[in-house]
Amino acid sequence: MRPVTVYPRGEGAIASARGLVKVYGSGETAVRALDGVDVDFANGELTAIMGPSGSGKSTLMHCMAGLDTVTSGTVVVDGEDVARLGQRGLTRLRRERLGFVFQAFNLIPTLTAEENITLPLDIARRPVDRDWFDTVVDAVGLRDRLDHRPGELSGGQQQRVACARALVSRPAVVFADEPTGNLDSRSSSEVLGFLRHSVDVLGQAVVMVTHDPTAASYAHRVLFLADGRLVGEIVDPTPESVLDALREIGAGRRAPEPALAGAAPALVGGVAGGLR
Amino acid sequence: MSRVALRGIRSHLGRFLLSILAVLLGVAFVAGTFSLREMMADTFDSIVEAGTDADVYVEGAELAGGGTPMGGQQARFPLETAETIAAADGVAAAVPGVQGAIVLVGADGTAVLNNGAPSFGLGLHPDERALWVADGRAPSGPDEVALESAALERAGLAVGDTTKVVLAGEVRTVEVVGELGFAAPMAGAIMVGLDWDTALAAYAPDGLTTGVAVYAEDGVSERALADAVETALADGPAAADVRVLTGDEMRAEMAEQWQSALGFVSTFLLVFAGIALFVGTFIIGNTFSMVVRQRQREFAMLRAVGASPTQVFASVLAQAGVVGVLGSLLGVGAGVGLVELLRGVFAGMGMELAGDVPIDTFTVAVSVLVGTVVSLVAALVPARRAALTAPVEAMRDEVATHDRASRVRTGVGAVLLAGGLLAVVVATTGVVTENRGALLGAGAAAILVGVLALAPAIVPPVLGGLAAPVVAGVRPLGALARGNVTRHPKRTATTAGALMVGMALVGAASVLAASAQASVRDVVDNQARTDLILQSATWDVPAALVEDLPQVDGVAEVHALRIAQATRVDGEDLALIGVPEGFFTEVLEVPVDAGDATDLAPGQAVAQASDAEERGWAVGDELTVEGIGGTTRVRLAAVIDSGVLGLPLVVEESDFDAVAGPGASVIDSVFVKAAPGADLADVRAGLAELAEPYVVVSIMDAEEYGDAVAAQVNQVLVILYALLALSIVIAVLGIVNTLAMSIAERTREIGLLRAVGLGRLQMASIVTIESVLTAVFGTVLGIGVGAGLAATMTRVFADEGLNRLAVPWAGLGVLLGLAVVVGVVAALWPAARAARMNVLEAIAYE
Repeated sequence: MRPVTVYPRGEGAIASARGLVKVYGSGETAVRALDGVDVDFANGELTAIMGPSGSGKSTLMHCMAGLDTVTSGTVVVDGEDVARLGQRGLTRLRRERLGFVFQAFNLIPTLTAEENITLPLDIARRPVDRDWFDTVVDAVGLRDRLDHRPGELSGGQQQRVACARALVSRPAVVFADEPTGNLDSRSSSEVLGFLRHSVDVLGQAVVMVTHDPTAASYAHRVLFLADGRLVGEIVDPTPESVLDALREIGAGRRAPEPALAGAAPALVGGVAGGLR
Repeated sequence: MSRVALRGIRSHLGRFLLSILAVLLGVAFVAGTFSLREMMADTFDSIVEAGTDADVYVEGAELAGGGTPMGGQQARFPLETAETIAAADGVAAAVPGVQGAIVLVGADGTAVLNNGAPSFGLGLHPDERALWVADGRAPSGPDEVALESAALERAGLAVGDTTKVVLAGEVRTVEVVGELGFAAPMAGAIMVGLDWDTALAAYAPDGLTTGVAVYAEDGVSERALADAVETALADGPAAADVRVLTGDEMRAEMAEQWQSALGFVSTFLLVFAGIALFVGTFIIGNTFSMVVRQRQREFAMLRAVGASPTQVFASVLAQAGVVGVLGSLLGVGAGVGLVELLRGVFAGMGMELAGDVPIDTFTVAVSVLVGTVVSLVAALVPARRAALTAPVEAMRDEVATHDRASRVRTGVGAVLLAGGLLAVVVATTGVVTENRGALLGAGAAAILVGVLALAPAIVPPVLGGLAAPVVAGVRPLGALARGNVTRHPKRTATTAGALMVGMALVGAASVLAASAQASVRDVVDNQARTDLILQSATWDVPAALVEDLPQVDGVAEVHALRIAQATRVDGEDLALIGVPEGFFTEVLEVPVDAGDATDLAPGQAVAQASDAEERGWAVGDELTVEGIGGTTRVRLAAVIDSGVLGLPLVVEESDFDAVAGPGASVIDSVFVKAAPGADLADVRAGLAELAEPYVVVSIMDAEEYGDAVAAQVNQVLVILYALLALSIVIAVLGIVNTLAMSIAERTREIGLLRAVGLGRLQMASIVTIESVLTAVFGTVLGIGVGAGLAATMTRVFADEGLNRLAVPWAGLGVLLGLAVVVGVVAALWPAARAARMNVLEAIAYE
């Protein structure tokens, strides 16, 4: 694990945050979910965000995606300052430039798979690019399931429909929140394989929050969060390297003594170097 | 378990709020009806108390038609009988009653007409005790009157003013010389005190009275006085014609008459309260099914830890009970408020009612019982479903949804619908001749219930069709909305069903009203050969005016149609029509079924076909007709089929006079034919000039007459609509309820839609479209059933004058428009709620 790479002006990043702080509640019960996060998400990259429960990984994604308001700091997605957008602007941002895949309940039960996939375009009243639609549908392998309702699809198929929906409007970034959290390992690998494929072949930027090291290993880069701060990253991860890094963070949190904390950068550098 | 139930209610009060409101509204109507009835009974009791203060009453023997408290419909006997009575032992005074109709002209020059409350003139006997002179003096001579306080106020007159009255068919200019006091509020009735001789001349020209009030000397009991009076009368000539009643008996008798009249009114109102409560059950049922659905896992968990199905069942019913009791108690309060409001409205209309709004144990008990039972019954099915939850459901991730049209329900619905249709067909095609109305009614009920039962099964196809334009027009919102209303067919069917009931009744009423109006117009257009028709706002055209009419230039013929209520035909109480000889040739050309109606000679009668059939009368039959005036026999000359004469039997004028007796009939309408070549406008102006002093007389041509009848139908229609509005309001609450609960259920879905870019306005639009679709679905079904059934009635009730079918397409279109409005209004709050949902919280919602 190495220190997180941040470019001064976020060069080449499709989404970036600077000094991102998110505080829930106020007074004595206030919780700093994000405590000064600087981060860049590169175009054409699958980035995973990991960290223990309560580390703020979901909050980071929600703030990046304009689903949650930020307390201070800036968030820029595809050139748009998210923190300064109103409800209307945020709705348009989500509709036109973002794609979402959630852990569960991704599909409208009354619509067919095809209708679910084209939903963002329908909402935006944009025409469906049939070639792109076919490309995406073939990529998720759902050609023969398009007329089915979500209730008639397996969990993995439902998540693949959700992925297709996220991609069909050619968003700037796709945010995936624990996309495999409810899936068995086979379905998980199908979905993750597809997400990686969408990045490698279709050139999509994808940000994925996960707590599963195997899922994270599909990413180009894994960011680690602890106590609302980014503590490091791994490029080209494997399940083992991710596990090691997580263990390390766990140890660091259990014993946050000054001496150890001071030694941490060297340690992190060592692990990261070992992975290379 | 009871703790679970109560906590459940407390923590989710919001979702029961609209159910409670539904119970509240229905119960408020029930409690209000009882309370109103009590209040009016109290008012009339106090009028009876105050107006019936004598110790003994000598009344004319009961005659046909039953007595009404304010007017004499009894046998009359000589006024001199009062002198015989006065001579009896223990009698302090014997006051004969001399009273009758009068028209009082107010300060503004128009007749004082008080929303159907009677106006009557009363002869002030020197010994009168029920009324006293509160201001000024008693009238003396034909040019003076005294007015009861409320009448004085209502007329806008003061003591010393000069005004007019129409008395005994004549216009008179009179001076108001006094104000009369009466010990009770008059409930709108206008009382005009007249000089004794004037009253005698006007109301008892034949020297007959309907009753004598007898006051006792000090220390003489009512019973003893009654015995003494009876003894005194025993030898007299009038003995057979009178009844002697003690004051208590008289008061009881009058109270009873009021009670039965009020009973009719309250039964009428309770029917609508019942409809409202019935509609309310839909909301309660829906609420509990949704709550049970949401809590399926909780019930499964309870079952898993050892709760028996009975306990789960009871816990749901306990919640329904709480909803019922709470709603009922609030409803009783609202009912009292409603009546208090009504009292204010009545007072504003010049109808003071007595006392406080009464609220007795009976009203509270019945109201709470009704509200609670309705609530419990509505929750039965959901409670059963909760009880049948398998413990294993607790472990399941997704709650199984079995909200599909059940086969049993669909089957029962289909059978009912088929049976109902069959009954209607049988009734309308005349396969049977007896009880066709009852058969039609039963068929209609079966169809309505059948459609309600079938509704879940027809929701997907019908709503799919109704939604098609929206789905195509508003993409993708229309499709999303359609998905939402069709995914729970039972829920949508129940929600729409509530509206359907109200709309079916409104639709039926509007078709019936339009048909009735069309039928009348048809009759007026095709049968009336008259140029002008005179009618009075008091339902009695002044006789003096009728006598003068032929003198107007250009008037060729005048035919008065008179009606006597207190008559009997072959022993049966039947009102009678009297017309002059040439009536059926000159004025009304009626379709004749049998015999010859053209020449209605003395001793002959004409009967309405449906009534003749019912009683087995045939041309040539002899009928005995009796009334206050006497008895005569008439021979049936013809059986006619006319919608314009609303009564069974018509006799010639001279027979009518012989039977009806003086003062016991009214001139309902006067038909005027202009001389050939006369300018109708001139004739009309002449008539108007003559009628003007009588204030209450209106002159119409045939078309205006049709309009006037149509206006009467419309008045009834407005009352019906107002009463049905309650059930529609409750149905709207039902839509709000269903939408709000569905939205709560769909929270995550809404979060998802918003996350993928659905705007707030679009979200609100989806909810609104759902709402409108539901409302339109209910309305289309309701109008279809209601208007369809009403349309068949013209075939069954053609004999009763309902012979023309008219479908008020514009009116039905307005109803559909109303459904859209209803849908939009119902969606306001739920749509705002859905639109305001926080996206992130919605997604994370469990």
